[in-house]
Amino acid sequence: MTAAITTSGLSKSFGDVEALVDLDLEVHAGEVFGFLGPNGAGKTTMIRTVLDLIRPTRGSATVVGLDSHRDAVEIRRHIGYLPGDLAMYPRLTGKDTLTYFANLRGGVDWGYVDQLAQRLDADLSKKVSDYSSGNRQKIGIIQAFMNRPQVIIMDEPSTGIDPLVQQEFQAMVREVAQEGRTVFLSSHTLSEVQRVADRVGIIRAGRLIDVERVHDLRSKAIRRIELVFDTPVPAEEFSHLRGARDVEAFDNAVHLSFDGNMDELLAIATTRHHLVDISSEEADLEEIFLAYYREAGV
Amino acid sequence: MGLSVFTFTVRDRIVGMLVAAVALGLMLALAMAVYAEIDLSFYYELPEAILDAAGISQLGTGVGGIAYGAMYNLMGALTIGGLAIAAGSASIAGEERDGTIGLLLANPRSRTQVLLSKMAALVVLTTVGALLLWVAGLIVPTALDIDVTGVQVGALVVHLWANSLFWGMLAVALGAWTGRPSVAAGGAGGFMALSWLATSFLPMIDGGRAVAQLFPWWYFSSSAPEVNGVDAGHLAVLLGLTVALAVASVVGVNRRDLRSTVTSVTLLDRLRDNPRTAALADRIGGQARVSSIPVKTASDHQGLTLVVGASIAGLGLLEALLFTLLPDGMSELFEQLPDALIAMIGGVDMSTPAGFLQGEVFSIMMPIALIAVTGTVGAKALAGEEEAGTMELLLASPVRRSSIVLGKAAAMVALAAVVGLLTFLGTAAGIVLAGLDVSLVNLAAISLLATLLGLVFGAVALLVSAATGRVRWAVSTAVGVALVAYMLQSFLPLAESYADWAALSPFHYFLGSDPLGSGMAWGDAAVLLAIFLALVALAVPAFERRGLRG
Repeated sequence: MTAAITTSGLSKSFGDVEALVDLDLEVHAGEVFGFLGPNGAGKTTMIRTVLDLIRPTRGSATVVGLDSHRDAVEIRRHIGYLPGDLAMYPRLTGKDTLTYFANLRGGVDWGYVDQLAQRLDADLSKKVSDYSSGNRQKIGIIQAFMNRPQVIIMDEPSTGIDPLVQQEFQAMVREVAQEGRTVFLSSHTLSEVQRVADRVGIIRAGRLIDVERVHDLRSKAIRRIELVFDTPVPAEEFSHLRGARDVEAFDNAVHLSFDGNMDELLAIATTRHHLVDISSEEADLEEIFLAYYREAGV
Repeated sequence: MGLSVFTFTVRDRIVGMLVAAVALGLMLALAMAVYAEIDLSFYYELPEAILDAAGISQLGTGVGGIAYGAMYNLMGALTIGGLAIAAGSASIAGEERDGTIGLLLANPRSRTQVLLSKMAALVVLTTVGALLLWVAGLIVPTALDIDVTGVQVGALVVHLWANSLFWGMLAVALGAWTGRPSVAAGGAGGFMALSWLATSFLPMIDGGRAVAQLFPWWYFSSSAPEVNGVDAGHLAVLLGLTVALAVASVVGVNRRDLRSTVTSVTLLDRLRDNPRTAALADRIGGQARVSSIPVKTASDHQGLTLVVGASIAGLGLLEALLFTLLPDGMSELFEQLPDALIAMIGGVDMSTPAGFLQGEVFSIMMPIALIAVTGTVGAKALAGEEEAGTMELLLASPVRRSSIVLGKAAAMVALAAVVGLLTFLGTAAGIVLAGLDVSLVNLAAISLLATLLGLVFGAVALLVSAATGRVRWAVSTAVGVALVAYMLQSFLPLAESYADWAALSPFHYFLGSDPLGSGMAWGDAAVLLAIFLALVALAVPAFERRGLRG
């Protein structure tokens, strides 16, 4: 099966600034791929390069097996795109906006558009300038989905949307993947990606740090541990332990993230102090993510 | 922060002022060099009435006086005034349009303080512009070794400064009261153009002099400061009005709710919101049409096109009727004029209906109207969508970049044709009603040539828009090229040794053949069309090979 998106050695520099450095990535057909990184990591640059809005300094990219530059127009028959900084024509209504892009793309089923609008609770009759930013974002999401494209590329799609609508949006994303189509979304909010993505690519300072299955990432042995003692214990006692991070002491408790040897941790906790309680939970992606940054970064 | 609002605003605008002043200085040099080649002896023997009627009052000041009059009185004053209006309309209303006003006022500064900083910036900008013109006015004659004894450049520049400050402050006031930069710029710019027209035209007819005094431009130029020095009374009128407008601005900006919408609202939208004018607004602006790129582009600019087209058509109608009001003696006076002088005052014999219409409607006003439409369409077409961010979505559609460029160019052609057609119809109606001896076929010819000329400058805007993605660059390049082209065609033919160079100017192919008098010049039309097509053809690769801004 053809990959939905590939990049090979994709690099983009703006003057001296290297926004993307030798990015090699393959997004499979039928998956939801989350592209994670902090602001300014290069997520938007990667998306805009793949869409031929800007041109790579080196390397190349394909979408549905077609070259991102040479076949740019053909590619756009098969994609939906939601820009990160969504802008639309202020004087058009939501309906006019969708009609305009539907006319340019062709193959839009208006029954489906109405269904999407209903699911997102979007009012299409108002002018774009009169929408709140969240409602404007809904129009942007509808236009990215409306022609049932093979690949939907969305840059920070949840911006400004309230939690209920976010849930519906995530369901829509899952459905697209179930139909064998692909969703590529960038985000800096990991909880969102955690809920919808099959795989996650982590980017920092223009470099792809890793690509992991969300499941694998989560099962990485980072745990969030709380130790409760009968008297206050200084955090320093644990901070030099191998695998310990973010060690903080509150009253009688010590909190830390830990991916080291549990024996060593318990040895310190029990030999020198009186341990009253211990709780351990799976870390969320946020912490795993931060862990990656520290290692790859400084 | 008062200081930083001030410095920020000045920094934002100073480059435009510098470029304009340097350009005007160069134009002054060109004009003086050309005039120096001409034998002006005939000029001193003319009856004063003729010179008055022709708007030339610098008698006795020779080459220098005429050159200053031509460059500073009209072009210089309109340019510096226009830049002041741009700065003034951007001051409060522009920040509201950009949505930055909220951020600005979140700082511990009152609205009045912010507004005063903006006004101080306006004063500095106009002063810098005037000083530069003054310096240029001193350097150019020295460099060219031309005697300018008796010309009071300083007094002329002082009047020009007060005049531009007034227009800038009018824009500030309109923006402060409405919060709409387009209303501020359009209102002040329109009134400035009207004032200039009224001041130059009204004194020619009986009783018109008194009416002309109602227009602010009168207090800039009517006292001929380059000959008579500063007229304290006139200067006081301009500055007094400016202070009154400043006070009105402070009141206006403090009494209303500031606008928070990021998007601009047009006058048309305002008319639409009012139930009494909604039907009219819809008729003018039309419903949004989105079936394709050219259709949507045309629909975007329909309001502007119809308003501009109707204005210039109205001007054509009015001027044709006004011609019958001109005193009989004028045609006899004009018959005595040497050709060189006629060329100097606009290249036309104002005593014939064709010459009069060409001078009043076609040689300047119609090109300005067309460039207003084609330049706007060309600049906004690509760079406007790019700056607004909508180009991202447009390019995510299966459309070639070349189709986008060509689609926008097609819309530009259609809109320019509408302006050309409306002008033809309005003027034709005036000619028929007034029973003037002007060929309607020739009228069609000059309308068509003007339309093609407008398309050439629109294509300049489109090319810069495609290559840079910046609206301001596109607009200023198109306007700058148009100004230079106009100057080349107006001044170079006056001196034989330079005359051939006028062929470099697109204006040469518009009026060079005297289309209103002698009919269609198909060769000239072909040249203009070829330039337009070449520029559009260049815009395609310029846009295709470039990364989108963002």
